[in-house]
Amino acid sequence: MTRVIERTSAGQSAASAWKKKLSLRPVVPFGMLVILVAITAIIQPSFFTAASVNVLIEGSALIAILALGQMFVLLVGGIDLSSAAVGTFTAVLFAKVVEPLGPSSVVVVLVAATVIGGVNGWLVAYLQIPSFIVTLGSLAFWQAAALILSDATTLSVFGAGYDLVGWITGQKIGPFTPSVWLTVVLALVSWLMLRYTKLGQSLIAVGLNERAALLAGLQTRWMKILAFALSGLFSGFAGLTVVSGSFSAGPGQIDALLLPAIAAAIIGGCSLTGGIANPLNVLIGSLVLVVLRMVPTAIGLDARSQQIIYGVTVIAAVVATIDRSKIPILK
Amino acid sequence: MTEYALQLNDVTKRFGAVTALESVSLSVKPNEVVGIIGENGAGKSTLLKVLAGIYQPDSGEIVIGGKKQKVNGPRHAGKLGIGVVHQEQSLVPSITVTENLNLGFEGNVGRWGLYRWSKLRAETRSFLSRVSSTVDPDARTDSLSFAERQMVEIAKSLKAVAGAPGSPVIVLDEPTSVLERDDIAVLQKEVEALREIGSVIFVSHRLDEVLDFCDRVYVMRGGQVVAERETEGVAEEELYRLMVGRDASGLHYMEDQQLEPQDEAVLQVTGLTSPGAFEGVNLTVHAGEVAAIVGTNASGREEVARAIFGLHGYTAGEIKIKGEVLKPGNPRTAISRGVGYVPAERKVEGIIAGMSIGQNLAMIFSRAIAFGPFQSPRRRRELSNAWIDRLHIRPADPNADIGALSGGNQQKVAFARWMVEPDVRVLILDHPTRGLDPGAQQDIYAHIREACESGVAVLVLGDTLQECIGLAHKVLVMRDGMVTALFDAPRTHKPTPLDLIKEMV
Repeated sequence: MTRVIERTSAGQSAASAWKKKLSLRPVVPFGMLVILVAITAIIQPSFFTAASVNVLIEGSALIAILALGQMFVLLVGGIDLSSAAVGTFTAVLFAKVVEPLGPSSVVVVLVAATVIGGVNGWLVAYLQIPSFIVTLGSLAFWQAAALILSDATTLSVFGAGYDLVGWITGQKIGPFTPSVWLTVVLALVSWLMLRYTKLGQSLIAVGLNERAALLAGLQTRWMKILAFALSGLFSGFAGLTVVSGSFSAGPGQIDALLLPAIAAAIIGGCSLTGGIANPLNVLIGSLVLVVLRMVPTAIGLDARSQQIIYGVTVIAAVVATIDRSKIPILK
Repeated sequence: MTEYALQLNDVTKRFGAVTALESVSLSVKPNEVVGIIGENGAGKSTLLKVLAGIYQPDSGEIVIGGKKQKVNGPRHAGKLGIGVVHQEQSLVPSITVTENLNLGFEGNVGRWGLYRWSKLRAETRSFLSRVSSTVDPDARTDSLSFAERQMVEIAKSLKAVAGAPGSPVIVLDEPTSVLERDDIAVLQKEVEALREIGSVIFVSHRLDEVLDFCDRVYVMRGGQVVAERETEGVAEEELYRLMVGRDASGLHYMEDQQLEPQDEAVLQVTGLTSPGAFEGVNLTVHAGEVAAIVGTNASGREEVARAIFGLHGYTAGEIKIKGEVLKPGNPRTAISRGVGYVPAERKVEGIIAGMSIGQNLAMIFSRAIAFGPFQSPRRRRELSNAWIDRLHIRPADPNADIGALSGGNQQKVAFARWMVEPDVRVLILDHPTRGLDPGAQQDIYAHIREACESGVAVLVLGDTLQECIGLAHKVLVMRDGMVTALFDAPRTHKPTPLDLIKEMV
């Protein structure tokens, strides 16, 4: 009789293993992208020229960098509302310090951005304030700081100072500018870290079950600080990229990218409750988002209704992407 | 009128190719307490779900009060006179007892859509008094103890069957699995009270309790009823054999493998005090020794165990590991000094659901799979396969999500995590076999013995007194935060549960 029990349970586990292998969840973001592109191609075949695809991919780099930073915070179960504002502040800071400091200014602003993120993380981890509140405050703080530092004007960056960052969106390597390659490298490094290092596994563990992670001897607070610090660092990269693209830095410059970047991370399969994130899918999520933003224009929709289409499709994209079985209660 | 309150005739339930219940027949007389025992996976839960109308049987019939019935769902089951108290408590914590009792009965709470609180309170009090509970109907549910909440659950099931025509049948699913000894005595009184009102079906895998509580017992194995026994005069060993399908061999806790401890005192606790939790606790565990702490819910034994692992603070006293003082307050420090802890709340504190068996195994001592700064998937697979083999973890797939495993297999992983490197000197096991079936329990016991053999000092807060006595070299009794007695429990001269209980209450 025990023999029968063993057989049935083995059968069940084999079945669930099959189901797991067949699960399409990881490729949903990609499928989403394919469907969107297909729909656009049918409505407006002339849209997808090599040149426009190139523009699309170039245009996704900035959102992708912010979304990757956001991903780390989502991974530990938080949210970073300050990431775009910190990016803007970094850009302004760079414009200010590049003259006096020269080449080291790049390092200085990246360190500053990382520290800003780390402080957010410290407030969340040690003072146990919800990340939504901490970063909401931080958002306002760094927006105002950028405004004061720039004296509410757009600062031009040129000459030797500009050359320090100009390469990011400058001479193409193969089909793309270095900004795209930088984004891909950041995603690949993040992917390797999450999958193959103790640090990455610890971040995931904290996101999935903080209590159990603590009891397994992981430094759960430091993991949270690290996640926010990485978000800060990535905001710094975004800030430098924007200076490179626009020859200038000014208040509010990339603040509007906050919500698109969060949406891109979610469409890329990040769980809002933590523990689930794939950097490569976040890249795809960013592409989906850029397509969503550009396509209504491309197919000639009325400008006034574009935001409606955008809003509806973002929700639809998230519905199709996220794994609701892992979320017991939606808030 | 019929002789039986409830009869199942040849009930069969299949899920695809799996037969969960095969021609199960059983009968319950009015005012009878009937036990159903079986290992995890024996079909007990399926049977209960059929009774509650959550599953419909593929064939066979359910006869309630002499009439063949089709049970459409839990509410309908209640109307027919069958109330099921599930293992996992289903009360909403943040509302009062009265509100919980009326959840799902909103149609009858008052007039014109208004709640009639005084009437509802009185009614709640009367249901509670039928199980001789004095819980305040206005108490917030989360202010009650586990045992008190269980009484409320039983009262709720009584309310569900209140309108039924015949003699009601209350089904208790594993009611004792998380209760302490003195609460179990209370439960036994409640069951006796229920017997006056109707019948009770008592589902458990704890044989001693089934024998204590029940008049008659059905043994299930592999989806079938394999035996029916009057509890009068039946031996626990016989039931065990019927349930597991092999001999208990009388060495349930592997006492024959209980070796003499070594001389080295690995864990020394002196004068440990935390006001309100424990006071002046002294205890020493030697290499290769198992020390058990027994005590009731409020005895403070859990807090002492957690204090050693850095999860509970203390104001006085000290903890020494191999003669060196351990700084308080941080599990990480404790782990670095070789202290391991398998928590009672496995799903909340022990495992990380969403990660694989392999990832969970390597979570604490990741250098076992380190490859430079990276973790080697190949080493992780090898490590996992080795432990899957050693502990018979199922499914035998290192990549399986640990959240999808059965409790027993999860516990094996939670345990093995500490053993992947030979660094652990002290292992604290908080209810290591809670909710496990006898087969999985055996695997855990075997492993505790193995750990001892390699010189680990083990501190066990056992699930039952028998378990503590059977496993341990010595048993400490705690009451109200203090150690009240210490019993030596060598292989040949084990104290009896009665000896311990005298010191506990």
